[in-house]
Amino acid sequence: MIRLLLLVSLLAAGAVGVRAQHLLDWSAEEIRAVGQHGPWPPPPVQDPSNKVSGTPAGIALGEHLFNEPRLSGDGRMSCATCHQAGREWSDGLAKARGAVELDRRTPSLWNIGYLHWFGWDGAGDSLWAQSIRPLLDPREMNGGPTRAGELLRSDAAFACGYERAFGSRPGSDDERLLVDTAKALAAFQATLVSPRTGFDDFRDALLAGDRESASRYPLAAQRGLKLFIGEASCNLCHLGPRFTSGEFGDIGIPFFVRPGEVDPGRHGGLGRLAASPFNLLGKYNDDASGSNARRTRHVQRQHTNFGEFRVPGLRQVGRGGPYMHNGSLATLEDVIRHYSEVSPDRLHSDGIPLVRPLGLTVEQSADLVAFLRSLDAEALARPSPAPLCP
Amino acid sequence: MRLFSLVLFLVFATGVSTARAADELPIFDAHMHYSHDAWSVVPPNEVVEILKKAGIKRAMVSSSNNEGTKMLQDVAPGMIVPELRPYRSRGEISTWAKDPTVIPYLEDLLSKRRYRAIGEFHIYGADADLPNVRRVVELAKQYGLFLHSHSDADAVTRHFQQDPNAKVLWAHSGFERPETVREMLRRYPTLWCDLAFLTAHVSNGKVAPGWRELFIEFPDRFVLGSDTFTPERWHYVIENARWSRQWLSDLPPDVARKIAYENGDRLFGGAP
Repeated sequence: MIRLLLLVSLLAAGAVGVRAQHLLDWSAEEIRAVGQHGPWPPPPVQDPSNKVSGTPAGIALGEHLFNEPRLSGDGRMSCATCHQAGREWSDGLAKARGAVELDRRTPSLWNIGYLHWFGWDGAGDSLWAQSIRPLLDPREMNGGPTRAGELLRSDAAFACGYERAFGSRPGSDDERLLVDTAKALAAFQATLVSPRTGFDDFRDALLAGDRESASRYPLAAQRGLKLFIGEASCNLCHLGPRFTSGEFGDIGIPFFVRPGEVDPGRHGGLGRLAASPFNLLGKYNDDASGSNARRTRHVQRQHTNFGEFRVPGLRQVGRGGPYMHNGSLATLEDVIRHYSEVSPDRLHSDGIPLVRPLGLTVEQSADLVAFLRSLDAEALARPSPAPLCP
Repeated sequence: MRLFSLVLFLVFATGVSTARAADELPIFDAHMHYSHDAWSVVPPNEVVEILKKAGIKRAMVSSSNNEGTKMLQDVAPGMIVPELRPYRSRGEISTWAKDPTVIPYLEDLLSKRRYRAIGEFHIYGADADLPNVRRVVELAKQYGLFLHSHSDADAVTRHFQQDPNAKVLWAHSGFERPETVREMLRRYPTLWCDLAFLTAHVSNGKVAPGWRELFIEFPDRFVLGSDTFTPERWHYVIENARWSRQWLSDLPPDVARKIAYENGDRLFGGAP
């Protein structure tokens, strides 16, 4: 109610021509649209499929495992090798480099816990299931199915950390220990929430009717935001506080990976999801009600899924290039140019297209980039994790 | 003994494999494109290999700028049914209907080459009454060709208003609900529907309610399609054929055969 009154007073002030020097006119509809991109930060993640989600012991174990190279086949690669804290939890490379160079970019882990599909192709329906894949994949960490269990049993600190998190000493069931390793990894990753940004301050001020604070937001970013939620309709897919629907789209990026071979994207991911023993329909889902498996139960493969990739969140986007699932665009400017010039022929005509060539002017493109950069902020340096069992 | 067992296994395995190939439902694919951006990344010989692996015995192909269709005909004349597209580049989807150079381009090609259809073209609502589209309907009548129309029901209705005897292949069945498709099929006896890029007619591998009744009522009016609208989509053709056979197996065998290839053969035949 208070927010509504403030909104009304803000609009009334605008109507009588009292305008701050550096604040554009924002309609009630625009303010509502801007408001949907917050508040920030969101409440902490609580994943019912993961019994150590949100628990201090699970998070601590997960952070140590995240930095542990002994989980990999050659003992040289950890999760942190590709998901580097100093590089926005990615690696800055166009294509990820595991045991070999891969076909996709390393996705950032910022705000990863809030998704409902994981990986560029959505082959994981939980963060812990997704965390198993690189551990086993011969092209990535190549750890094999028993390595996590062996580590948890043989290393006193990990055994102790495991007991604190899961309530018992590591047993002999290697698959169970692999899943528990992934659940601890997921508990840690879910704590990676990006910092508040200049946009968040503007959004909150705008909703509160605080024109003075709102006017500190750069004009170029304001113009870019208006485009983002208006004419360009970027917020149809990049919606909500994290600026993503969490779903998948074909935005006209070619998806050949080499001659004669394509990356099928979501279409392939759905096949792997259905075949995975670790999906939420399986025995490792800790949610006895099974209600969190509804999406997995009902999702169906469609022709449109071929070549679709997950819509990434945009927080910290300016600090995290290269861009697109395959790192094919080097800069934010390239990304905006893509959307400005995308060929509609690469997109199937079926109803109103979500993606269309925007035909942006140079100024509009610069404004959109300014807005996107306002979603960036410096994250606090992360202290080294405390010992598991001092 | 071990060698004998191996030979026996190979003979048996080969026999099973041959029997399986013979049993595999052939497919007439009535909705393929081979446009300019595909030529270098999926060369003609590779296209033919994909068609063979997919069990597609014949495919109706259009391409922007129509040279792709010719390239495929040159390497596999018996497999490719040519369709004339009013686009010289893929960028003409939204401009062709008002472009004065399109009709002379079509008339020139029709005077030089033989086609089975004009399309796939994109047109919606009242735009189907634009002079270019009217002329395309006339050309189809003059040359006895199908109109392969990616349209809403309104545009299809306008095609028939212009030529009540037009033969129209409705691309993607208009992405319409089965009730609308039924109404259109009942109203226009020379309307056929392709199922390219549709998934609504299948649910968990079975034919969805509404569509099943439609296929049973009109078994002669549907054909399959892959819609290779980007070069990458050529690498989806085999998977699409496998998926199509899966849902077709949920229909009575005679209906499945008609939709899989008999309708395509009857309507579009082989190479002209």
